[in-house]
Amino acid sequence: MTETLHRLVYYSRNCLTAAPEAMDREVAQILATSQVNNDRVGVTGALMFNKGCFAQVLEGPQGAVETTFERIQQDARHGEVTLLSFGPAEARGFPVWSMAYVGGSDADEARYGSIAGESGFDFSRLSGERIFEVLHAMVLDEEQAAA
Amino acid sequence: MPAQIVRAHPVGYSDPGSLIEDLAVGVLVLGRLGDVVFANTLASAILAPIDAAGLTLDALGKELVRIGRWSTEAAAALCRITAAGSDRPCVVEENEGRALALTARARNDGGWVVTLDDVTHHRAANRIDQRDGLTGLASRGELDERLKAFLAAVQREGGQAALVCLDLDRFKAVNDTLGHPVGDALLKMVAQRLRSAVREGDVVARLGGDEFAILQIGGEQPQAADALARRLVDLIGRTYVAQGHMLNIGTSVGIALVPEDGLSADTLLRNADLALYRAKADGRGTFRFFKPEMDERMQARRGLEIDLRKALALKEFELVYQPQTRIEGDTVVGFEALLRWRHPDRGLVSPADFIPLAEEIGLITPIGEWVLRTACREAALWPDSITIAVNLSAVQFRGSRLLDTVTSALAGSGLAAARLELEITEGALLEDTDAVLAVLNGLRELGVRVSMDDFGTGYSSLSYLQKFPFDKIKIDQSFVRSMASDRDSAAIIRAVTSLGSSFGMTTIAEGVETPEQLARIRAEGCTEAQGYLISRPLTPEAARAFIAARVA
Ligand SMILES: Cc1cc2nc3c(=O)[nH]c(=O)nc-3n(C[C@H](O)[C@H](O)[C@H](O)COP(=O)(O)O)c2cc1C
Repeated sequence: MTETLHRLVYYSRNCLTAAPEAMDREVAQILATSQVNNDRVGVTGALMFNKGCFAQVLEGPQGAVETTFERIQQDARHGEVTLLSFGPAEARGFPVWSMAYVGGSDADEARYGSIAGESGFDFSRLSGERIFEVLHAMVLDEEQAAA
Repeated sequence: MPAQIVRAHPVGYSDPGSLIEDLAVGVLVLGRLGDVVFANTLASAILAPIDAAGLTLDALGKELVRIGRWSTEAAAALCRITAAGSDRPCVVEENEGRALALTARARNDGGWVVTLDDVTHHRAANRIDQRDGLTGLASRGELDERLKAFLAAVQREGGQAALVCLDLDRFKAVNDTLGHPVGDALLKMVAQRLRSAVREGDVVARLGGDEFAILQIGGEQPQAADALARRLVDLIGRTYVAQGHMLNIGTSVGIALVPEDGLSADTLLRNADLALYRAKADGRGTFRFFKPEMDERMQARRGLEIDLRKALALKEFELVYQPQTRIEGDTVVGFEALLRWRHPDRGLVSPADFIPLAEEIGLITPIGEWVLRTACREAALWPDSITIAVNLSAVQFRGSRLLDTVTSALAGSGLAAARLELEITEGALLEDTDAVLAVLNGLRELGVRVSMDDFGTGYSSLSYLQKFPFDKIKIDQSFVRSMASDRDSAAIIRAVTSLGSSFGMTTIAEGVETPEQLARIRAEGCTEAQGYLISRPLTPEAARAFIAARVA
């Protein structure tokens, strides 16, 4: 019923202060909370962010994805949350929870230059599908680098 | 009331003590010195392990505090009840949550009878009433109570607060299209978001339907309310995912401040509501603070409404008739009936000022019926070649009575159906295509003509032109007026006339004021014209004279 696998993709405006350390701290906190919470309800996915935006993919049982997203919606650390897609998915694109910082280093710029706007990364230009693909590719890259 | 029972103990009752034992409340009898001289079993049970015998209320309270059962406030309240000596019970809450209602009544001998009633269940039951069943927010009743209590405190000690009223934009559409279960799930999520946006101590209430209110206590006003309203508009407007659906609603917010916008619950609620009304009128998805002018505007509107409700009965409406001519040959083909409201004090009220109000308060239907009957009766006096065009509002069009009304107006006047032309605006066609088509076809079956009014001003109803063969398209006067200076307008007129001719429809241009405009619309292929160049709208008598002079 509500347990069918669903995928949700959104992007939002990052409201965290620009100071890098403060931002790192907040993001680390989001990651820690997310890992615990999401794990408990069978939600996986990926979060990418830069100074301007967040983009996130959530995958899991429908009800769990809905509740998780509703909690995220209320978070004042981001704003203008735009839901790009939500619906049933055949298989998880992210069997484990991951997070990536994009657009900070030159290497990133070079690697993801194709989707970067003039002022760096503009997630708002991407479709849900594209965000999913980009995140997916990044996570694969990382896994290979680690191997 | 327990106290009354005690006082009424019958003279000669063999053992007053045993009567008191039977009561379902705890009873303490105090002697002249204020010490407990008697406690019934229930009182002893309530106060156990403390033995009240011989203690004053003050000492009893202290003991209860000492063993951690009561708070010092509760003990103070116990001491006060003999001082207050009021009939209204004072309710104290024990630390464990049990609630006791206390009363005290003086005895003739200078002592007191004090009752202790366990009202925990009663209170819990009440409390459920004070909660909104679906969302668990405070109910309207509880908000009212909290607001009153707060305002009483403000009167004594001063303080600031904001009453924030909000309702949901587009909620009805969600409820109607996806059903109540989804609507209810959405309301619960909204309630949760509201809770997340306020601070502890604020009261969040559901007033009913999709209306909510927040009593924001404390904080520096108006900044705190401003920040909250901004947050609400953002937060409530964020997409919801519920039961597999992505739902988008918004909220409009109105704010009244304590103390400047009122010190009574009613005034504050009304003023916050006026501000909310303003926010919605200003385009929704926004917030407004109450301003005294809002009240004035509302009063003005209410005044207009009262007058409008009386206007039909007092025969303050009139129809005037504006001629329409066929451009080729300059012959009069018909008239458009235009509504005027002449009020004894207001003078001539513009339809732009009263038609929207009439639509909103449902008066448009009787007014529209009057227009239809009057116009048909007048047109029946004209030569058979001349038609009468009557405007229909979107509201009338949606109502179920239209076909009956038209049938009876024709029958009552003896006017041939083919001489009646009903003008429908694009807006009326926006709604539900099938229902709209059914009405259009019904009108067609009656034999009346149907024209599309103000074509090009709103949403393009081109699709309707294919689905329903209108007899006539009316080109809005704004295009006629600007066609000399604006190429787009000229292009639109050309497009409409060629569209009309390919569908076999007549095209009429409104608001033709100069010979140049007439020449232009003629060059663009328009077949009929209406406007000051031909004639201004005429009284019934003048229209008849116009016909007599022009139609030989
Ligand atoms: C961009 C962004 C993404 C987030 N993603 C998640 C997430 O995937 N899972 C989660 O539980 N919380 C996530 N959070 C945090 C939630 O908004 C919220 O703070 C958290 O769930 C509260 O959890 P707690 O009640 O356990 O403290 C995210 C926050 C932000 C700003």
